[in-house]
Amino acid sequence: MRPGCFLFSWARRFFKAVIVLSLIVLSLVLFLSGCGVGSSGSSALKGKIKISGSTTLLPIAQEAAIEFSEKNPGVRIEVQGGGSSVGISQLRSRIVQIADSSRGLKGDEDDGTLVDHRIAFDIIVIVVNPDTPFRSISSTKVKDIFTGKIKNWKELGGPEKEIAVVVRDLASGTREIFDEKALGATKVKSVDSAPSAIECASNGVVREIVSSTKGAIGYLSYGYVDKTRVKPVMLNGISPNLENARVGRYPLARYLHMFTQGRPTGVTRNFVDFVLGDEFQKDVVSQEYIPVRLVERKGK
Amino acid sequence: MSKKESNGKLRQIFSASRSEFLVRIPLFLCAFLAFFSVLLIFLFILKESIPAISCLGLRNLFFSTTWRPNVSNPRAGSYGMLAFLSGTLMTTFFAMIIGAPLGIGTAIFIDQVAPPKIREITRRGIELLAGIPSVIIGWFGLTLLVPFLAHITGSSGYGIAPASLVLAIMVLPTITTLGTEGLKAVPAELKEASVAMGATRWQTIYKIIIPAAKESLIVSTILGMGRAIGETMAVQMVIGNARQLAFSPLERTSTLTSRIVTDMGEATSVFRSALYAQALALLILAMCLILLVRFVTRSREVTT
Amino acid sequence: MDERKSDRLATLVFWIFGALTILVLGFIVVQILVRGIATAFKPSFFLGKPEAIKAGGGVLPMIISTLYLVALTMVISLPLSVGAAVYLSEFAKDGLIVKFIRFSLDSLATLPSIVFGLFGMTLFCIYLRWGYCLIAGALTLSILNLPVFLRSTEEALKLVPITYREASMSLGASRWTTTRKVVIPSAMPGIITATILPIGRIMGESAAIIYTTGLFIRNIPLSPVDTAAPLAGYIWYAQSEAMVPDYKSVVDGGAALLLVMVLVVFLLARYLGKRFQNKSHAGK
Repeated sequence: MRPGCFLFSWARRFFKAVIVLSLIVLSLVLFLSGCGVGSSGSSALKGKIKISGSTTLLPIAQEAAIEFSEKNPGVRIEVQGGGSSVGISQLRSRIVQIADSSRGLKGDEDDGTLVDHRIAFDIIVIVVNPDTPFRSISSTKVKDIFTGKIKNWKELGGPEKEIAVVVRDLASGTREIFDEKALGATKVKSVDSAPSAIECASNGVVREIVSSTKGAIGYLSYGYVDKTRVKPVMLNGISPNLENARVGRYPLARYLHMFTQGRPTGVTRNFVDFVLGDEFQKDVVSQEYIPVRLVERKGK
Repeated sequence: MSKKESNGKLRQIFSASRSEFLVRIPLFLCAFLAFFSVLLIFLFILKESIPAISCLGLRNLFFSTTWRPNVSNPRAGSYGMLAFLSGTLMTTFFAMIIGAPLGIGTAIFIDQVAPPKIREITRRGIELLAGIPSVIIGWFGLTLLVPFLAHITGSSGYGIAPASLVLAIMVLPTITTLGTEGLKAVPAELKEASVAMGATRWQTIYKIIIPAAKESLIVSTILGMGRAIGETMAVQMVIGNARQLAFSPLERTSTLTSRIVTDMGEATSVFRSALYAQALALLILAMCLILLVRFVTRSREVTT
Repeated sequence: MDERKSDRLATLVFWIFGALTILVLGFIVVQILVRGIATAFKPSFFLGKPEAIKAGGGVLPMIISTLYLVALTMVISLPLSVGAAVYLSEFAKDGLIVKFIRFSLDSLATLPSIVFGLFGMTLFCIYLRWGYCLIAGALTLSILNLPVFLRSTEEALKLVPITYREASMSLGASRWTTTRKVVIPSAMPGIITATILPIGRIMGESAAIIYTTGLFIRNIPLSPVDTAAPLAGYIWYAQSEAMVPDYKSVVDGGAALLLVMVLVVFLLARYLGKRFQNKSHAGK
């Protein structure tokens, strides 16, 4: 009798079980993916679109990709983040067809071939924890708070409470715009925002922390301001609303863009049209930002 | 010893065979993979961090507390990691203050005090605790520890304190498991002799067992430190991700690992390279710990 | 008398240590399960696709990603670690090379997993231009877990009595034949039992895979070169990005689900370990 025979047979049985199990899992996976393929309707559109760029726009672009490819199963869309600059440089070297950007083109990026599609308008709203007694803060004080010069609400005449500054991560286009327009950063000189600031990867987390932390101050995209949880404050006494932003009274506002290399063609054009279409603008874009037509129609 | 001898004899008989030579090579390559991987990891991390080192210099990179990256123009930023290095060391230190006594205490409990059934339960519990994913412990910390600390201290709740607590939980299994192994290795005769001489259990533990197992207890603590230094996700969720050098446990800061995760997304050129330099610092810290373990265990090999 | 008192006190303190450890574990497990279990086993969550910005997403592609990643990692690292362990315990002479290998294994065991993640990203995803994919994650995790697997395999090989080897060799079998036909088969149940526990670790690993495998997908990954999003990484992503309005319940549910998966693996390892023990006792 071979030594270790009892163990050997046991091992063989175990292996058999593992193989059967993995076959079951594999067939399940194939079945499920088969379902996905089977449900595809008949649509003429076929093709592949690659998108990269701003993380601010990432969720909107992802949602657009989901809805568009549900309607047109022949189209595969890959959406990636990477930041506005990365997206634009990838578009220029034709790695992607669409670049998401939370800012306009900068000097050397604008070689005249890129076409701008404004897909949303955004107002950045400064918000504080509801316990904070201030309704308006001046722009110099905002600067002092976010750069860490003012550390306590007491210095503004408020209660004795440490100010917890909440900012977005460096990758964020919202942070870039805020640093530039509220804190005076330039391309060469970045602003030293308060070193004790909590850095968050998204609007959702900023809102969560500001609403749950006493003494907190942060900034949010317009669509994320939920007045039951955070308190929006006025900047120099000016309310952060659409009217003020559109005419330029409220400075913390910007367009969000999708860039293409020349006029878009083929599925890329269908996709851009879909994003700019009323249905997508009303159902999705309005949840986080301001639909672009609302701004431009009023402007005319 | 006898196993080694017979192995050696048999090896001699068969080492000449040619077919064996053919299997030796792939087997050797499998084993060599470990060495090769370490080398490759070191080289890649080093290669990626060279731009930052050459552009900023060691002093600005490792011994400055100013971390002020510039995303659109990376070369214009400052990339000093000292604040995060200090964050790593502080969280590790506080985690060990809580985790090491608890871990070693639990190890002694398992080895010496607990009745068999309880011992089995505790041991399995520790095994399970080792398997709980760090994101889960982080989520637990974020949703329970942070609000709790905010409530009792009046601060934001984020910072070194919750990070250290989370880490203390995570180093516990490492310290306890290795500690138990070390205690088990203490010869039973020593303990029996001590008890036979009329010593109480506490005296036996304190005077005989702990000194006998001292080195493995130290090693288990060092390896626990290794775990604390390298832990990433759970810490990133609770430490507050601030850029400042923290001086008290209630202040927010970052560790080397959490900063890499926070900033890696969009970093390019020097900025990105500076993050690799942080990984390099982590690698060097880990190597120091291994050498420390080697040093501690070497002295044991001499004495026994 | 004084000594007896201090003895009692010390015993009490050690009981408190032990109890505290188990309490912490119990508290975490119960908290996570109580909060998330209802979400975790809702069919729309368990079998649904994740959403990018709307509420009500599920995690099926993430569960499949995790299982796929575990399977791939095992397929890659089991042969490698068995090979390496066989070499180290059956073939190698104690020399400088073995010392180097041992030192490397210790280093691999101590390096932070984020370092493995960055390495995997640089080598596989960027340098080799694979992009985020399952195989890159599996290779990274194979290197990360090499020391663990190797140690368990070696332990299992050590348990095979030397007499088996001697018997086989005295019949004229070569060292390799002996290893292949006698040592590995007898050690196999032990190897499998010992390598199941680390599966839980692979399932829970996040720092090493967020930069190699991917964070967010909507379609079930099919081939090993597809981008995937294992559950642990997705939990981190969901709480950190908080794109969906119901991210808290997604994270609660995901955490409970992941914990259940880890618990199943843990219990399976216990069960097999016990069975293996009984068998080997019965055999002897």
